[in-house]
Amino acid sequence: MAQFALVIDLNTCVGCHACATNCKEWNTQGSFGPLSDYDPYGSEPSGVWYNRILTYETGEFPDVQVFHLPKSCLHCQDAPCVPVCPTGASYKREQDGIVLVNYDDCIGCKLCSWSCPYGCREYDEADKVMKKCTLCIDRIYDETLPPEHRKPACVLTCPARARFFGDIEDPDSEVYKMIKERNGFVLFPDMGTNPANHYMARTETKINIEEFEKHILKADNPLFLEVMKKHHTKNKEEVA
Amino acid sequence: MHPPLSLIFFFLTAGTSIGSFIFVYSILVLEIFGKGAGLPKDVILKLGAIQLVLIGLGAFGASFHLGHKLRAWKAIKRFRTSWLSREAVFSGAYGFTLLLFLVLYYFDASPYFIHLLGSLTLLLGILSGFSTAMIYASNEFVLEWNSSVTVIYYLLMYLMLGSSLMLYFSDLYGLPYTGAFIFLTFLFLTLGLGFRLAFNIRQFYIRRPTLNEALNLPHNRPVRVVDTGSTTDNYCTTEFYYKKGKELLSTIIPVAYLLTFVVPLFLVLYSWITGVGGHWIFGITFISLLAGSALERWCFFVEGNHVQNLFYGLYPEEGYRLRKGYMERKETKISLY
Repeated sequence: MAQFALVIDLNTCVGCHACATNCKEWNTQGSFGPLSDYDPYGSEPSGVWYNRILTYETGEFPDVQVFHLPKSCLHCQDAPCVPVCPTGASYKREQDGIVLVNYDDCIGCKLCSWSCPYGCREYDEADKVMKKCTLCIDRIYDETLPPEHRKPACVLTCPARARFFGDIEDPDSEVYKMIKERNGFVLFPDMGTNPANHYMARTETKINIEEFEKHILKADNPLFLEVMKKHHTKNKEEVA
Repeated sequence: MHPPLSLIFFFLTAGTSIGSFIFVYSILVLEIFGKGAGLPKDVILKLGAIQLVLIGLGAFGASFHLGHKLRAWKAIKRFRTSWLSREAVFSGAYGFTLLLFLVLYYFDASPYFIHLLGSLTLLLGILSGFSTAMIYASNEFVLEWNSSVTVIYYLLMYLMLGSSLMLYFSDLYGLPYTGAFIFLTFLFLTLGLGFRLAFNIRQFYIRRPTLNEALNLPHNRPVRVVDTGSTTDNYCTTEFYYKKGKELLSTIIPVAYLLTFVVPLFLVLYSWITGVGGHWIFGITFISLLAGSALERWCFFVEGNHVQNLFYGLYPEEGYRLRKGYMERKETKISLY
């Protein structure tokens, strides 16, 4: 059975928030909007976002690394938010595994958000219903769009190309291969939720500076002037 | 967790209604078997009216935590999987059968039908309380709640509220059950105190997840939150972490214990030992228990820590203290995969 999901490469994510911004821009005017803002021009602006980017630091100073974690609904294969919904407003589509909320049935009891270990559902105070990432279902099935644009807004906008979209159950898909070849991992694997969204692990790039410096002609090198003179002469001969 | 006041109100009203009905109907059942003198009809009807009003007020009050109150009827649709749906069905059915029971009792209908509806109301009331408790106890992402202690304590609270209200009315109407209800109130208060203490003590022994587990990182890598992506609070940081409540918790918990257990136990024991009764003593017992229970429920919510708080660095950090390898960081090459 198909399971659409996002795969996010933490190696290339630069934490620019473009995915979150474009997600908000698309979805606030799309079929599942608006994503309400509260006090947008005041001192305490807040609002509903489907996608939030969290930044973490690992290691001890000075050996630290900073990485960014874009976190939207993970469309869990065993979604704990679905069975707790008293009205059946939260549901998981059989054909593509996307977890959605039917706004007409949602009573705004917030129990689904209590049952999400990732904090990926947000209550819209203006619409009084629970909202969450839809994997841009109004884009990915829109046949009026060119095929290359039938992807979630966050994937299309990512300037670092850190986000990928596809069917993680299809062995021919790009995301399936990425997860398999690069050991894609999920958040909170012990919670039994079996998330569909995967992350590509960070890989450390090691550069041996000493070896690298051998190939750099530095000013304090005793051979510097000799090499420069030789280079200059050679250039002159070539011109002549 | 942010405490929803409407749910605390529902707990108090439904708890008093269902708890007192359990005792009223138990007295009627004992009467069938020739035990006890039963209850006068007017007392049953008065108590029944109070129970009916209370469950009605509770249902109305609970609707205030819903975004769309008029759609609340839709909550019956997922009875098969959702404890909230079951609670809605059972508490609604409890109110309905209670009304029918009182109507039949008022018109002196056949005892067969009265007891059929009475036993059904009793069953639905208990199932309603159990379903409400299971909403919290079945949530495996709030580890403080995710325990059978939550359910047992919740049902004991219903019995505490019910028995103390019945004690008051027993003394007020001069019924021959004052002694029995003094004992029952004492019993349920003591059991309740034991389970509330167990609930609190258990929190020190919960094996809590860490941020490393949330981010799927090895345990020996120190990780800290640098930025949560927004300059102000959002739904995740206000709904799942009540900052003001956390600050007040250490003050409120002792007050809640005092009003819920210490004052009622003292008054009930005083009356039991000295034999000095008076409905004002039992009235104060019930009021103290009611106020204490409201504070206790508030604490119950604030004490709950949702695991999603890990992503925001708002989860208790006890889990880190026994981590092996955390002190070996100088020997460990720290890198992210």
